[in-house]
Amino acid sequence: MKNNEIMIQVRDLKKEFKKAVKEPGLKGSFKALFKPKYDVVKAVDGISFDVPKGEIIGFIGPNGAGKSTVIKMLTGILTPTSGTCTIGGKIPTQNRKSYVKEIGVVFGQRTQLWWDLALRETYMVLKEIYEIPEEDYKKRMEFLNEVLELDSFITSPVRTLSLGQRMRADIAAALLHNPKVLFLDEPTIGLDVVVKDNIRKAIQKINAESGTTVILTTHDLEDIELLCKRIVMIDKGKKVFDGELSELRHRYGQMRELAFELKDAEDISLLEYDKNFNLSADDLSVEVNSAAVKVRFNSDIASVEDMLSYTLSKVHVKDINVKDADIEEIIRRLYIGGGDIYETSVTDI
Amino acid sequence: MRRYLKLHSIFIKQDLKKLMEYKVDFLLGAVGFLMEQAVQIFCLGIIFSTIPALCYTVNGTVVDSWSFHEVLFIYGFSLIPKGIDHLFFDNLWGMGYWIVDKGDFDKYLTRPINSWFYVLCEKFCVDALGEFIVGIALLIYSTLSMPAEVVADINWWRVIPVALVLPFCIMIFTSIKTATAAISFWTKRSGHITHMCYMTNDFAKYPVKIYNTVVKTAITYILPFALTAYYPAIFLLRGESVWSLPVTVLISVVLFGLSQFIWHKGLRAYESAGS
Repeated sequence: MKNNEIMIQVRDLKKEFKKAVKEPGLKGSFKALFKPKYDVVKAVDGISFDVPKGEIIGFIGPNGAGKSTVIKMLTGILTPTSGTCTIGGKIPTQNRKSYVKEIGVVFGQRTQLWWDLALRETYMVLKEIYEIPEEDYKKRMEFLNEVLELDSFITSPVRTLSLGQRMRADIAAALLHNPKVLFLDEPTIGLDVVVKDNIRKAIQKINAESGTTVILTTHDLEDIELLCKRIVMIDKGKKVFDGELSELRHRYGQMRELAFELKDAEDISLLEYDKNFNLSADDLSVEVNSAAVKVRFNSDIASVEDMLSYTLSKVHVKDINVKDADIEEIIRRLYIGGGDIYETSVTDI
Repeated sequence: MRRYLKLHSIFIKQDLKKLMEYKVDFLLGAVGFLMEQAVQIFCLGIIFSTIPALCYTVNGTVVDSWSFHEVLFIYGFSLIPKGIDHLFFDNLWGMGYWIVDKGDFDKYLTRPINSWFYVLCEKFCVDALGEFIVGIALLIYSTLSMPAEVVADINWWRVIPVALVLPFCIMIFTSIKTATAAISFWTKRSGHITHMCYMTNDFAKYPVKIYNTVVKTAITYILPFALTAYYPAIFLLRGESVWSLPVTVLISVVLFGLSQFIWHKGLRAYESAGS
């Protein structure tokens, strides 16, 4: 990985927003009008990372972590307060126009297509905007058609497309000029399982065939698991994890999930995992939904065998199974876990 | 530049296609506009039905006066640069009302073309053709109704300079809209500021001499709408105020530069919106 050409370089990127502080009520509003007070909010606080050419990188973090702000700086929309980001050596604040030619952007919640026009027209306009030669355009359209199956709705007006069709169309629109980097912000939001799957496959294919570097932000961790080898996680404007997904799983993968259904729902009071195994809140969570119980626990502290035999000795169950920690569980622990577990996981490039 | 002209024509074509999709909307828009103009002209007619002419007096002596048809001519002329600006560059209104506030401006920044130009040309406002046509119609009607000796004075030496200055008149409108729209980069919304500035345009449809010094100065040099209406119109009619033509060019260029400066400053302050 290290021998590869670096596509994206982000160095000590910071973005501060000035936020007006208002006291509550009408009086406060008046006060703020004449004597505005400002708080400086550090939305992004010194983030650095590199992305090699051709990599699909998952960019994750809880809501309000600063993900969008980073993406918006990387796509030339926001001007950083300090720090730099370069794509193929180009800097957005110096020459936005030539910079954005290198990138394609899809915002899942906001379409970039011309709402009232037939889809085909959108591509014709983009062809002119990006000055794509006729021949390249035809080839590219053919390729995108094949990967994203646009044929069936390319003549329909954009407003009549289904969400899945629209997303495919949006991805095609972002790729028409064959950008070096594709930014996908929540590309599977609101889509059904089959469509999600198609879109993921298309992203993989585009990455493999065109060598497009992909930066993916998502809350759907299945996206991450299926597409990304590496993830960068940020929280409160700081990078908290940067490394391979397998590393994350290895490091925090001791979590197991024990799921069972009680014959008698009252029996739940008999189970005292925390006292019996001496598990802290970080290492144990119990979810009860009438008779169905889900226990997540750290298998380094309490072995699966012990947990099973303890459970079976205390209560009667209809059904029981043990699951491996999925990535969702790991990330949930990271999101709510605060700084402690982060510290050890920060790998510097 | 050529590429931008080509792009602009493509956008216009796309908008015309859109128009075909929403015929009723267009028709309603056009009818609404025509009614608005009709009411304004009707009001002018009422005023002039009770007075013979609009007079400017100093200490009770009439210094200057304008007939109904002259006022109509000025009024009609004012609609032409305004209509052309409206026709091509209407989208700037959206900037102050929702494009920036909702974060929709993101879209314009992810394309490899000048963001100002992109906003400017994305919408082609066909409704404005009504404004333009009403303007031309008023010019023709008022000219035909004026005494022959007045009309005889309108020669090429008056028409050509005004035609040359016309693009600069349009630029005054576009620049004022640009500058006020760009305020939204800081304040999120500035549509009302644009609207407020635009309202002063109504003063410029009448002979500016009738106003006091403050209003006169404001609509000549600060929000120089008088340069887009009264001055060129009165030059056409009477050959008066020759000085206003070079001043129009100068002020419009300064205003344009200023609006671009504010726009580019604003781009750096743009904060987008949470998604």
